[in-house]
Amino acid sequence: MSNLSIAHLYKRYGAATVLDDINLGIETGEFVVLVGPSGCGKSTLLRMIAGLDGASGGDIHIAGKLVNNLAPAERGIAMVFQSYALYPHMNVRKNMTFGLKFTGVAPAEREKRVAEAARMLRLEELLERYPRDLSGGQRQRVAIGRAIVREPAVFLFDEPLSNLDAALRVSTRVEIANLHRLLKATIVYVTHDQVEAMTLADRIVVMNKGRIEQVGKPLDLYYAPANLFVAGFIGSPAMNFFGAKVESVEGRRARVTGAGFKSLDLPATPLGVGDTLTIGVRPEHLSRGTDGAFTVEGIVELVERLGESSFAHIRRADDKLFVAEVRGRDTPAVGDKTTLVAKAEDVHVFDASGLRIPMQGKS
Amino acid sequence: MTMEQRARSVGVHLVLLAYSALAIGPILLVVMNSFKARSAIFGAPLAPPDSSTFSLIGYDKVLRASNILTYYSNSLVVTLVSMALVLLFGAMAAWALTEYRFRGSTLLGLFLSIGIMVPIRLGSVAILNMMRTAGLNDTLTALILVYVAQGLPMSIFILSEFIQQIPRDLRDAARCDGVPETRIFLEVIAPLLRPAIATVAVFTIVPIWNDLWFPLILTSSDKTHTVTLGVQQFLGQYITDWNSVLAALSMAILPVVVIYVILSRQLIAGLTSGAVK
Amino acid sequence: MTEPVAHVVAQMPRGKRVGLLLLFLGPAVAIYSLFSIYPLLDTMALSTYTSDATGARHFVGLANFQALLGDALWSKPFWNAFGNNLIFFAVHMCVQNPIGIALAGFLSLPGLRLKGLYRTVMFLPTMLSVVIVGFSWNLILSPLWGVASGALKAVGLGSLFAPWLGLESSALITLSLISVWQFVGIPMMLIYAALLNIPDELIDAARVDGLGHFRIFLHIKLPLVLPTISLVSVLTFVANFNAFDLIYSVKGALAGPNFASDILGTFFYRTFFGNQLQLGNPTMGAAVATVMFFIILVGVCFYLFLVQRRIRRYAF
Repeated sequence: MSNLSIAHLYKRYGAATVLDDINLGIETGEFVVLVGPSGCGKSTLLRMIAGLDGASGGDIHIAGKLVNNLAPAERGIAMVFQSYALYPHMNVRKNMTFGLKFTGVAPAEREKRVAEAARMLRLEELLERYPRDLSGGQRQRVAIGRAIVREPAVFLFDEPLSNLDAALRVSTRVEIANLHRLLKATIVYVTHDQVEAMTLADRIVVMNKGRIEQVGKPLDLYYAPANLFVAGFIGSPAMNFFGAKVESVEGRRARVTGAGFKSLDLPATPLGVGDTLTIGVRPEHLSRGTDGAFTVEGIVELVERLGESSFAHIRRADDKLFVAEVRGRDTPAVGDKTTLVAKAEDVHVFDASGLRIPMQGKS
Repeated sequence: MTMEQRARSVGVHLVLLAYSALAIGPILLVVMNSFKARSAIFGAPLAPPDSSTFSLIGYDKVLRASNILTYYSNSLVVTLVSMALVLLFGAMAAWALTEYRFRGSTLLGLFLSIGIMVPIRLGSVAILNMMRTAGLNDTLTALILVYVAQGLPMSIFILSEFIQQIPRDLRDAARCDGVPETRIFLEVIAPLLRPAIATVAVFTIVPIWNDLWFPLILTSSDKTHTVTLGVQQFLGQYITDWNSVLAALSMAILPVVVIYVILSRQLIAGLTSGAVK
Repeated sequence: MTEPVAHVVAQMPRGKRVGLLLLFLGPAVAIYSLFSIYPLLDTMALSTYTSDATGARHFVGLANFQALLGDALWSKPFWNAFGNNLIFFAVHMCVQNPIGIALAGFLSLPGLRLKGLYRTVMFLPTMLSVVIVGFSWNLILSPLWGVASGALKAVGLGSLFAPWLGLESSALITLSLISVWQFVGIPMMLIYAALLNIPDELIDAARVDGLGHFRIFLHIKLPLVLPTISLVSVLTFVANFNAFDLIYSVKGALAGPNFASDILGTFFYRTFFGNQLQLGNPTMGAAVATVMFFIILVGVCFYLFLVQRRIRRYAF
């Protein structure tokens, strides 16, 4: 049964449409991540779910209840904010129990919940301290604790890791994943970082310019992106794109050519002669060699060595750059002319409008 | 919005509207009635002037019987010159205090900030004596000197806050280039203080323009009176002549209101930005 | 934060450095010391003298203060003025500041339309000169014109009307309320600015926690702007005990009726400059000024050393 369902949600500010016909269903216990570039509407959507801003149209149901006209506190949600939003003039304990007082939770019950949350988040020592005496990571845990004690149907996270430094970000990410397992909570999590999305989510919702581009499990999005936007957004470094055209069809194979690559051999259906295509291949799917379904060559301009894997930036025939991952110590040198190949199943084909064309033999 | 939210919103607007009416009502009343004939002022005080009741008799009297135009020019001169000096000297002092830390700079800063709390009026006895001895009695210069002294502490305080926000790199880069200190101040720092000017202006211009005390004490002849003092004395003199009285009040109100409405955004931005400290 | 001395300046030859400091600090310090500090000190010194019929001055120590506080001739009007000033201050603290806080609270509600218009209109009276305000209200409240009595009659409260400004019992309160009417804008704007400083996310968190707008104001906003409120209070104190203009322009130097509206400012003016009832007495006037200075000093020190230390400022 859906714990959170959004139907035909719109949001307009004057003439600008910020959210356009959003439809989404989230199951109980699911960890769903809303991801996309700045301005795509993910935070706006989160605020609509929370009830902090009103929608221009559409319905939201939480735990089976229609919540359109309900105040945030009545919706069964709890929110963790990017800047933690802890009350500076209250200590940690008070921060966590403050809201409970106004929603009619008895003192004994309040104490129980705080103790439980403090144990889960290792905050027992900090209960009497004030936010100003806490580190960033500690404050974030208090903010999470404040959400936990509300025992909501849905947890909402608004870019909670953005304000933390890199190392803290990784450890807090792990903590959040653990919490999800422990509490079996339904979580809607907003981030602009696709690594966070990939590592935390049960399902990812990729958004762009107020619309949902694709919803799916992380690996589904990785291996079968629905369009150019998703393909270029998921995966780091980003997928390489090559402009192409179907030259001719000979029997069951099609000859596809493009200025940036050497050759590409694809099955004939569902392609037609003269079709304009975009070909996408991920850097990690390119390997040195001469024989493959897709071949590309060029001159190495820059090599980023990260240890076991390195990324070579290569200038190709149509003068654009593409990136290939190289593993091991034997990395190419700047100025080398090199040829790379990819297997047929690693080649993504997109039509003129940017939609993926599923190829034969692939799901 | 829910019904409840809409109701609350209406309630809020009602309160704000009511208070706004209270704030602006008396002013509108005075200005409106200044354009009416005497009988209409008493007969129907709340009615706006129409063709039968419209009259400029009050304004006529004010312009003939008093030197209101002289008063305006005096107020303008005093206010603008004082503000300019307060800004210039205040910025220089604020800069020196913030940038050139030296032994006793904190003490000096404290000394200067005493003036924010302590009212200068209490020294009027001595000020009057000083002005008399210096032969500056009954001059606009006396007023200017006093107002500058009064405005400096607050302006130094506000400008120091602004200067501290200017990135160090900017100041150091100029020094690396070997630019002399005075030029650094004039060409690098001063232009960056533009937002501060609005804040300082709010805290200096209004009290100076509206001040009654020092013009009362330091100026004796009609030709040095400021608008505030001039109008006050005119009112005292023509107290039963309602037309003239209302006209005089309106003439004192309208310029301030017009300038205020034009500059209100900057004024309020200045007040809200600097005043939070 | 302490910044290291600007190196270039620190390394300058001593003479050049002194010259620089004199140039930048000279004018400000000179004018301020000459026209603010020195007159104050001189006045305090003058208060220890008295002048006789020939105009010569004799040192009398604290005799003036003894007379002021104890001798019936001076102390009666002094304590009357002091008491009135306290009432004046109390009215401002109880009416002006709460209204200012409430209006600021309303203005800071998220999504309020016409905010700019309300702000501009409500701040307008503060821009006006006190003379205008005093006189306009004098006219409006005057029984001759009938505006105030007419307005009260219209809401059925006609019997409440009285010539408040002319009655001993109500003159001071009425003048205080007029002053409140004029200056509400200042606490309103200062507290509004402080409320704006509170991050939106904090308010969002409170809404998610289940607080309605009134509770948010009471439990979240108000505690966080307490430093500004206390600043407003001390500014009100200083302004009130320094007040003069309004009473003078409505009631003249005699602050009638029968000194009912006399406050320290008008008392000082009358003592020093004299009026139709008495000769000007500069030394006594200086004594009054000195006492006023110490009253204000006590208030400010109370604020600086007791209140400001205790109240926490929250940085966001």
